[in-house]
Amino acid sequence: MSRSWKLWVGGPVLAFLVLIPFLELQGGYLQTLGFLTFLYITMSTAWNILGGYAGQTSFGHATFYGLGAYTTCILTLRGIPALLTIPVAGMIASLYGLLWGYPCLRLRGQYFAIATIGVGEATRLLMLNLDDLIKNNSLLKGFLQKGVLTGGATGLMLPTPPDIQAYATAFYYGVMGLMFFALFVSWRVKNGKFGLGLFAINMDMDAAETVGVNTTRYKILALMLSAFLVGISGSIYAQYVFYIDPQTVFGFPMSIAMVLMPIIGGIGTLIGPVLGAVFYIVVQDRILTANLNLGLIKLSLSSLHLLVYGGLLVLIILFEPKGLLGVHHRFNIWWNKRKRRSLAATEKA
Amino acid sequence: MAILLEGRKVSRNFGGLAALLNVNFQVRSGEIVGLIGPNGAGKTTLFRCITGVHPPTFGRILFKGEDISKLMPHHICVMGITNTHQVVKPFPEMTVLDNVRVGAFFGKGWVRGEVKDATQEALRVLEFTGLTSKANFLARNLTLPDRKRLEVARALATRPELLLLDEVVAGLNPTEVDRMIRLIQQLRESGITIFMVEHVMRAVLSVSDRLIVLNFGEKIAEGPPDEVARNPQVIEAYLGKNYASGKSHYA
Repeated sequence: MSRSWKLWVGGPVLAFLVLIPFLELQGGYLQTLGFLTFLYITMSTAWNILGGYAGQTSFGHATFYGLGAYTTCILTLRGIPALLTIPVAGMIASLYGLLWGYPCLRLRGQYFAIATIGVGEATRLLMLNLDDLIKNNSLLKGFLQKGVLTGGATGLMLPTPPDIQAYATAFYYGVMGLMFFALFVSWRVKNGKFGLGLFAINMDMDAAETVGVNTTRYKILALMLSAFLVGISGSIYAQYVFYIDPQTVFGFPMSIAMVLMPIIGGIGTLIGPVLGAVFYIVVQDRILTANLNLGLIKLSLSSLHLLVYGGLLVLIILFEPKGLLGVHHRFNIWWNKRKRRSLAATEKA
Repeated sequence: MAILLEGRKVSRNFGGLAALLNVNFQVRSGEIVGLIGPNGAGKTTLFRCITGVHPPTFGRILFKGEDISKLMPHHICVMGITNTHQVVKPFPEMTVLDNVRVGAFFGKGWVRGEVKDATQEALRVLEFTGLTSKANFLARNLTLPDRKRLEVARALATRPELLLLDEVVAGLNPTEVDRMIRLIQQLRESGITIFMVEHVMRAVLSVSDRLIVLNFGEKIAEGPPDEVARNPQVIEAYLGKNYASGKSHYA
């Protein structure tokens, strides 16, 4: 019953998503929105491997996103084919995860979360000032190209390809593939030995350790896997928009987005991060473009989406820790109860 | 019988407090050894030294002749020593079956196998510990006796050679105590060596081959249960004078 239901809804939705670039709805607007949604689903799913399965809340995932984006830009500007930089971006993000994950993951619970905030900000500031720092260093000066490595606050720009329409379409499918890959990884992790170990760590670290789970190694592996996927996302984002700067890719809002999406959708589940990411993008898109016209006062609501997420987060934590999936579950229970009651009523009559 | 576990002058300090001081002990394979002593004597600390949670400050612990005193807890588990926790620590949001599966997956003797195998092993252990009917319950919904059983089941799934039981009987009613004692005896029959901390005298005296008594971090007596129970030093330190004259409510 539920299987066929999934097929009937999932099939057409998938077909529609595949066909979006050909339909050219709203002048390619929907395609851009689709691209962003897939990208955010990938990141949300990746964050969920560490934050949801292993229960280690990271507010520093923008470091991986930014590092992926910067790796791609820096290498591409030095003549390396852009597609080759994608796995490199993932690996560098992953190694960076190992670098700060090893010390930070010794901390537990909220202390880990606080440390990751620091790591995120430190990385952003480092990227902002890296050029100035190495300008006078005889050893590191070689990395500069025309006096630029990360470009400071102005960021880096990539050359745009001639046929931008075809380019964008290729990326649309590319990132869709990446999303399915991330979901596959997440699914495999969830149902395998690795995921079981992560859940055990999430529930009780000491107990997990005494039944043979190498908690340190598992947490670091989860962080590195998560970082790899987010790094690739960053790389693809950079290639899609041709322009990056530390504020957009390393900014704290990016980290927050990655925390919010799985929590909104349903933390620690496979589908929750997907729902959360879709919700996040739709809300952001609707509100960013909305204007409130009160006759004399015209208000742009472009920052209001942050307020919406904040409010939502409070509600979720207070009332439904399992997010949208939890709401869905409650609705199901309520619906079944209602159905049973009406059935009983008709029988009586 | 071969010596399975040996402690040589095991000491553990917490700041200035010596929780354990030069404790020597031996556990032979196939034995049930009871570890008793008044509150704060260092029983749980000794267990934590063995499992690597709080490694000994001084002294060595040998498992089958190998020094394990500096290994991480998960490593020690994989070598074949598992403990249950005095304050039960189930994985609350996981089903009983999944709890046990963690042990089956990560414990000793898990060579690359299928998820199916671990599940089968877990089901076998649930059957053995009498939790089969609750396999799909969330661990947080279990009653205390069942949680204690789950502790044992999860530890058992790691296929230990030496099982450290930290007060698995405490807090159970008399019927449940009897069930737990039967389970412990079955464990020994299946070839597992048991080292247990216990306050409930009825349980520890009836199953142990040998008792080790700690007081203020030092070993004060060792020997067969009835002999230890008659030891004046033990009576003085732990059982109280009423026990000697047969007026105790423990017995």
